[in-house]
Amino acid sequence: MTAAQATDRTTAAGPEPGTATLLARTAAAEWLRLRTVRSTWWCLLAAAVTVVGIGATAAFDEATGPDTPSAALPATLAGEFGVLLGQFGLLVLALVAVTQEHASGSIGPTLQWTPRRGVLLAARVTVPVVVATVAGVLLALVTDVAAWLIAPQLTLSATELAGSLGRVAAVLAAGSVLAVGVGLLLRSTAGALATVFLLQLVLPALLPGFGVEWMADLGELLPGTGAVWTLLGEPDMTAAQAAALLVGWSATALAAGGWSLLRRDAS
Amino acid sequence: MIQVRGLTKEYGTRSRLRGAGVVRAVDDLTFDVQPGKVTGFLGPNGAGKSTTMRMVLGLDRPTAGSALVTGRRFAELAEPLRVAGALLDAAAVHPGRNGRDHLRVAARTHGIPLRRVDDVIDQVGLGPAARRRVRGYSLGMRQRLGIATALIGDPAVLLFDEPMNGLDLDGVRWVRRLVRELADEGRTVLLSSHLMSEMEQTADHLVIIGRGRLIADASMQEVMRREDAQRQVRVRTPAPGELAGALKRRRLQVHPTDDGDLLVEGATAETVGDVALALGVAVHRLTEEHSSLEQVYLDLTGDTVQYRVARAPEPAELVRR
Repeated sequence: MTAAQATDRTTAAGPEPGTATLLARTAAAEWLRLRTVRSTWWCLLAAAVTVVGIGATAAFDEATGPDTPSAALPATLAGEFGVLLGQFGLLVLALVAVTQEHASGSIGPTLQWTPRRGVLLAARVTVPVVVATVAGVLLALVTDVAAWLIAPQLTLSATELAGSLGRVAAVLAAGSVLAVGVGLLLRSTAGALATVFLLQLVLPALLPGFGVEWMADLGELLPGTGAVWTLLGEPDMTAAQAAALLVGWSATALAAGGWSLLRRDAS
Repeated sequence: MIQVRGLTKEYGTRSRLRGAGVVRAVDDLTFDVQPGKVTGFLGPNGAGKSTTMRMVLGLDRPTAGSALVTGRRFAELAEPLRVAGALLDAAAVHPGRNGRDHLRVAARTHGIPLRRVDDVIDQVGLGPAARRRVRGYSLGMRQRLGIATALIGDPAVLLFDEPMNGLDLDGVRWVRRLVRELADEGRTVLLSSHLMSEMEQTADHLVIIGRGRLIADASMQEVMRREDAQRQVRVRTPAPGELAGALKRRRLQVHPTDDGDLLVEGATAETVGDVALALGVAVHRLTEEHSSLEQVYLDLTGDTVQYRVARAPEPAELVRR
């Protein structure tokens, strides 16, 4: 490289790539970021063990247990039950992908490579959410088939399967958007994990158990309750209420996290 | 070319409960960094060097003012690595990723071919360590990885924040050679340090700041001239009284030291030797003592108002450049 070349480049820079190209490159880089750290694979392994393990155990229990009169249970229940608990491996994957950058300071280099923060935000939300959702749907599918093989009295039809996997996808997409949004906002792995666990699992599970009315009411306003309803049909609420919970919480978290990435100093 | 104009960064609480604790980390900085030179960005720790660089790179939002890299705001650039490469904090790398993958991610954001990744790994001498996880890197290896990242897009502008920290002597020499080559190729190189001694052998131009304010924006020669003005000669002679008298007649300032030597201000060894010869007194020791550049720097940064070697460039001058 000579001086002439060095100055040439600054004066006569070629046309800059468009936003679509930048988005594609940034998303590819996000995917490369995800798969070049071990924590991603540990999270996937943990999710696989939990989802498939719980689903298969439930099916085994069904196969060996006493015959129930309503024996025609769908095998998709296994996958849904597995995802209800095993989703946390996938939510941690999505959340840590975001917060690790702030913990290590590598958000600095990241923004030096992708200084247009809107582009980074789009890729940073989309890639982990897609990865978590696709992984969850695949694990649910494996679990459903495994459950059906373990307990042949369970039913498995294409329509049941499509409907169930759609519900799993909705729960995981909403949950991982929530996780990414909270991660972007709080920037701390511990703080974001605690928040997501409380909202998604701990409070929805505990609050109704106290038998106090306002606590139960509060529980029904949390995103985890929407996820439980979507997967298991409990507690009593309409589809619109559940959808409002999932979409409302995710959208709020995304808006707050997006503001944090777009407007605050990087740290 | 980097243009910094009235750059200001305030941190602090606007909360009335905690009192108005606003700190000006960077205070109305204006300077240019020219291509083809190594510009040393000097200041004590906490002077605002890193904050300034972070604002130039769009990481922090200025409270006021602006910074342009090759005429554009960094945050607007589509392919920033092809314009400006930077090493701000060598530790700011995901510890669980290996060095080569870190560079691959950088390359992927710009559509830079994988071949270039291996080129820069060779260029910085990272070698086989590139395939190890960054967690196991020494600070020196992290610095090399950071420099490789800065170079990957072959940019015309380079910013290095304390790149010699944690490097052994070979590493320091390597960085010196590298920044010299980069500047000789016509690139703009801004190199920060809190050590004046590092700059003596590296920089062509100095931008010195203290407490967030510009103290000096001058060529190395100008700073050295100031140093020359403070030169003094130490002479040891069996006849100090006679020699001092002769030197004083030549209007030189002479001070006796505690150990019986004479310190002659603003003179050269030749002058003092010639005077002694003409006088016929013996000279047992004759040495030139530079007040070190380090001292000049400490004087400069110690008091930001009193010791101003260069005024900030006037707006008219800036336009001319």
